[in-house]
This record gives sequence, C-alpha cells and structure tokens, in this order.
Amino acid sequence: MRVKRGPTKDELRGAFEAEALPQLDAVYRVALRLSGNEAQADDLTQETMLRAFRAWHQFKSGTNVRAWLLTILRNTFINEYRRTRRAGVSVEVSDVEEFSVFSDVQDADPEGDFFNRIVDDEVLRAIDSLPDEFREAVVLSDIEDLSYAEIAKVLDVPIGTVKSRLFRARQALQRQLYEYALEMGYIKGEPR
Amino acid sequence: MTAANETDCHAIAMRLYEYLDREMTREDEAAVRAHLADCRGCVSLFNFEGAYLKFLSARANARNAPDHLRKRIFEQLLCNEDESASA
Repeated sequence: MRVKRGPTKDELRGAFEAEALPQLDAVYRVALRLSGNEAQADDLTQETMLRAFRAWHQFKSGTNVRAWLLTILRNTFINEYRRTRRAGVSVEVSDVEEFSVFSDVQDADPEGDFFNRIVDDEVLRAIDSLPDEFREAVVLSDIEDLSYAEIAKVLDVPIGTVKSRLFRARQALQRQLYEYALEMGYIKGEPR
Repeated sequence: MTAANETDCHAIAMRLYEYLDREMTREDEAAVRAHLADCRGCVSLFNFEGAYLKFLSARANARNAPDHLRKRIFEQLLCNEDESASA
C-alpha cells in the first residue's frame, strides 16, 4: 500500500507565493489602519506574512485566504503591538430621525455631493480617529470589501455584532466627515 | 404618514446597510424593496447612504505596500525555506 504523502516544502512554498503573496497590499493597508504609523505597519505586515508562511500547511485550500491572513494580522496586532485600546464615544441609534446626516442635509444636499469634496487623507484621518471596534469594522468592510461572514470570522464575533458595529461605525464616521465638511465650508449648516 | 408606516420606516432604516451591502436574505430584501416602492422618504435616505458608501470605498482603498517592504518579505521567505512548513 502506498503511503499518502503530504505536499513537499516546494509545493507549499509555491502555493503560498501564488495565493498568499498577492494579498500583501490588503494586509499592508489593514496593518496601516490598525497601527496608525508606517514603520509599525511594515513590521506588522512582515510578521504577519512570516507567521502565515509558517502556518501555511494549516490553511484550508479553497477558503478565503484574505480573511485568513487578516485574522493572523489582527491577532498579531492585539498580542504584540496594541498597548492601549483606543476608547471612543459610541453612537446611539435609537431614533431614526436623528441618526443619519441625511436629516441635516436633505434640503441643502440630499445626494451627499459634499462627500466628494473631502480628500482621501481626511477620510483616512477620520477612520483612524474611530474607536478600535469601529475602525476594524469599517476597514474590513469599506476598505477591504469583506463580507459580513468574513468580518465575523476575522473579528471572532457573531454576525449580529458585525452588523451593529458596522452600522454605528459608519454613522460615527459619517457624522465626523460631515462636521469636517461644515468646518471647511463644503456645505452650509450648523454642527450639532 | 400613518403610525404603522413610521414604524416600518424606522425598522427598515436600521437595516439599510444590510440592504446596501447585499447581505439580506432574498425575502427580507424583497420586503425592503416593496417598502421603498411606496416610500419616497426612505428612497432619499437610501440614496444618500448609498452615495456615502460608494464615496468611502473609492477614497479609502488607494494605498499599496511599499516596494522596500515587498522586497524585505520576499527575501525573508527565501531565507526561511528550511524551517518552514514542518514547524
């Protein structure tokens, strides 16, 4: 009887290069948003790819490699880099009349054209200023385009938690961008 | 607008991102669509929030890993050949 052999080192390495390395940009982008500075993002990305390479034999082929890498990234960040959790105000969304910036701008700018005057760096700055739980949700969904199920896996929380975090995170971010737009005069109105 | 209708608007607004992200079951999605067909206020809100999400993903996705980092990682993986996979 033939003994079934596992993949050779060369095969594992080839598969890692073909599947995991193309995700390097995604890993770096999330690392940058989690750590908040470039030097740390470099280290965090490198550490993540190295750990992923060493654990590559555990990766289940056919599952989402990006979600797998981002899970390793997040665990590495929490265990080795995050000194203090950034706390922030959460947004209560009990009253529909109050929750969206839409209620403030529906007469002046119902299509939200003012958003398009806000530059990239300002958007990233606003994302960076969110509390950790919100920032993670926004980065994984709106920067990396993961599904709710994938986000739930990366964050290790139920899908219901993903939904409510994402809702509150996007609302908090929207409010912040609106206030910036007011300040810059991109839209007229009174900050709340 | 009737009181019952307002309750609908609220319930639907709370799930607007699930709808816009296409994360709803087919039945729930159909229910939202049916409500939107009758409710201009919600249509405007959903359009606004849709524009916001589009703006977010267009603005936030720009940056790639720098070349020096890419090089560093490739070199490290080469060096690591011996201790990999079996670990």
